[in-house]
Amino acid sequence: MKFLLLATGFMWGGLVLAAPVLAQDAAPQHPGRAVVLSKCFQCHTDAMFRDQRQDRRAWEATIYRMVGRGALWTPEEIKVMADYLGAEYGTAAKPAAPPR
Amino acid sequence: MRELVAQYLSHSISRRGFVNGLTKAGLTATAAQSVLGAVTSVSLAQGAGTTTTPYTPQGNATAPVPYLPHDADAPARAPSAIAGVKPFQGTGGAAFAEQLIACGVKYVFGNSASEDAQFYEALVDRAQLKYVLTPHEGPGAAMAAGYIKASGEPAVVMQAGVVGMVNAMGQIFNAWKEQTPLVVYSYRTDQSRRAGRDGFEEVANQEQLAQPITKYTWLARRPDMIPETVRRAFKAAWTPPFGPAYISWHSDYNDDRVRTDIIAQQQFDPRMRVRPNPDEVAQAAKLLVEARMPLLIVGDEIYRAKAAVTAVKLAELLGMPVTQVRQLYANFPETHPLWVGNTPAANLASLTFPKNPDVVINVGNKFQHNGAAPIVPRGPKFIDMRIDFASMGNVMLTEVPLVADVALGLDDLYAAVEQLMTPALKAKAHERAAEVRKFAEQARTLRALVVNNPEWDNSPLIADRVTYEIAKFSDPDAIIVHEAGSVAMHSFDFDPRGGRELFFYYGSHLGSGVGTAAGVKLARPNQQVICLVGDGSFIFGPTALWNMARLELPVIVVVYNNHAYSGPHSRVVANVPSGRMVQTGQFVHDYLGNPDMNMADIARGFGVNGEVVETPAQLREALARARVHTVEGKPYLLDVQVARRGVGWAEKPWVPPIRLAEIRQKRV
Repeated sequence: MKFLLLATGFMWGGLVLAAPVLAQDAAPQHPGRAVVLSKCFQCHTDAMFRDQRQDRRAWEATIYRMVGRGALWTPEEIKVMADYLGAEYGTAAKPAAPPR
Repeated sequence: MRELVAQYLSHSISRRGFVNGLTKAGLTATAAQSVLGAVTSVSLAQGAGTTTTPYTPQGNATAPVPYLPHDADAPARAPSAIAGVKPFQGTGGAAFAEQLIACGVKYVFGNSASEDAQFYEALVDRAQLKYVLTPHEGPGAAMAAGYIKASGEPAVVMQAGVVGMVNAMGQIFNAWKEQTPLVVYSYRTDQSRRAGRDGFEEVANQEQLAQPITKYTWLARRPDMIPETVRRAFKAAWTPPFGPAYISWHSDYNDDRVRTDIIAQQQFDPRMRVRPNPDEVAQAAKLLVEARMPLLIVGDEIYRAKAAVTAVKLAELLGMPVTQVRQLYANFPETHPLWVGNTPAANLASLTFPKNPDVVINVGNKFQHNGAAPIVPRGPKFIDMRIDFASMGNVMLTEVPLVADVALGLDDLYAAVEQLMTPALKAKAHERAAEVRKFAEQARTLRALVVNNPEWDNSPLIADRVTYEIAKFSDPDAIIVHEAGSVAMHSFDFDPRGGRELFFYYGSHLGSGVGTAAGVKLARPNQQVICLVGDGSFIFGPTALWNMARLELPVIVVVYNNHAYSGPHSRVVANVPSGRMVQTGQFVHDYLGNPDMNMADIARGFGVNGEVVETPAQLREALARARVHTVEGKPYLLDVQVARRGVGWAEKPWVPPIRLAEIRQKRV
């Protein structure tokens, strides 16, 4: 668990708004998307979403790890974020495109 | 015998030590008592008319100085009439020991060095100066730093020349970053009369290696200047803002005979305590009372100055929320209703509350900036109260710089604010406090949700479960030494006013945790000490386990062992998102398994019992066994198997294919 500057990508990020990179299309947007956008990017860039593919339970666990790091979310917010991330960034989702 | 008399007169040995020394020298017990009586009358006469013997250089500077053995037949110097000043003659090594004693040093943390022979010789009859042999200079220096931080008392680290010094430099770096007054000595292995000839272990200007990471470096120019050099190092290190100092001298100086003065610490060290400028205090008080939403950031100078109680009083007077960005210590009680939590990221924008403070006051936080954004954004008026004046105004725009010992500064600021508090302002503060309290209560409820993690009961354990169980297990005044960088500290409810204390790390040279915990326990034998380390950190510095075993330092060491460098893994993914490493799962730099390291086995090798823990139930049972060990004065280690979590981890991570078996041609 070597630590030099950043703890699982959470601790030192600046305020980065990465909304365009998150999954979106013309269909009505998942209510969890707005919560993720408003609750995660004080600390994170979108890198943690872009490359992660895991099921809903694992996303929920990821969110709870952030609670341990000081994030303050209600159970409802956690649920809706896990629903969204599990749907859009689940194991069946397409991998992120490699950088150009 | 003269040496014994000199030591007794200088209070370097006790009456019993003096008599024992005489009998060992061949005197009968009766004769020894008789000598004691005669010498005691001389001792009582000290300070009643004798004069200091001035320093007299021995020969000219270029002439060889003959080595005289410790008990050479030289006339004893007259005792000094000046309080705190003691004439000394003996070897350079003994002068070093005497000056350390005069500086208040009780422990020397060292690794063996033949060139320090005369120093070791001097320790035989100076029992008050205890030598802790540390088998590696890095953890040894960490142990010294832990002792200094937990005791507030001086200590010294010494090593063998430049070769030992470079091993200690990682911890000197940490001391520099975290501002710990660590004094480090190593001799120069080149003899003064054959320097520059590429001798054994010789490097030119070795003291310059430490220069960028110390407050002060100096090379004693003559053997009789050893005590003065030592004094200067302690003065520099312990003059606020604290920091490490490095001193050195040619190794033959330790053997040379010197006539010099030993001076007590209080006679040369001002230990200055600075009051803030009253005008600036008034300005800060006015800003605070007029603020809509002031915010207090606390820092390590509060812990060092033992000013947490005053910080609480100031926050309560103003109804002001309190936070902290990365520091060594927890500087404010985490259960206090005005505590809004640590900043999740290293900027105020990451706080859920308050969102828009209009006045921010920092008390004693050094502010580690790891990104471009200033921790305190440009907008709110900023009051910066610290003794570390050099870094003020470097990043943040500063409305009021209050250079002060923060204990005095908080006292003055509290008094100034109190004077300004009208009934209307008190009502405003009361109303604000209610708002903060409401948030703090809600935040406390939400933080407690950490136990709802769906992986809470998993094996291997998630790191948060380990932390939670240890928090529940720890004593109300436990000291948590934390070098598990990817692990978040929650559930401990730290309180610097006598509750649980945190000793985190700041400088990031890894391998400090186990040594620090050993030093903390040496300084605070009556408090439970629990050391939390990641496997990566642990393996940089396990040798201090041997010190725990030898000195019977009952520390509980918990290794969060996920067989990986988690932090570097996550940062690499963040730095190269969607790259080839992520696509292929080929990370060359982060997996520490295959084979897995068994930290409990490593601990046993150092004489420390321990066990591997794989489930939450096992963890509770293991902690109970650890408590039994520590009650009996023994350290104990838990190697807790922790899950790897994050982007790109596989169940069995890829390992770079370097296989000697495929290229070797001889089975030898």
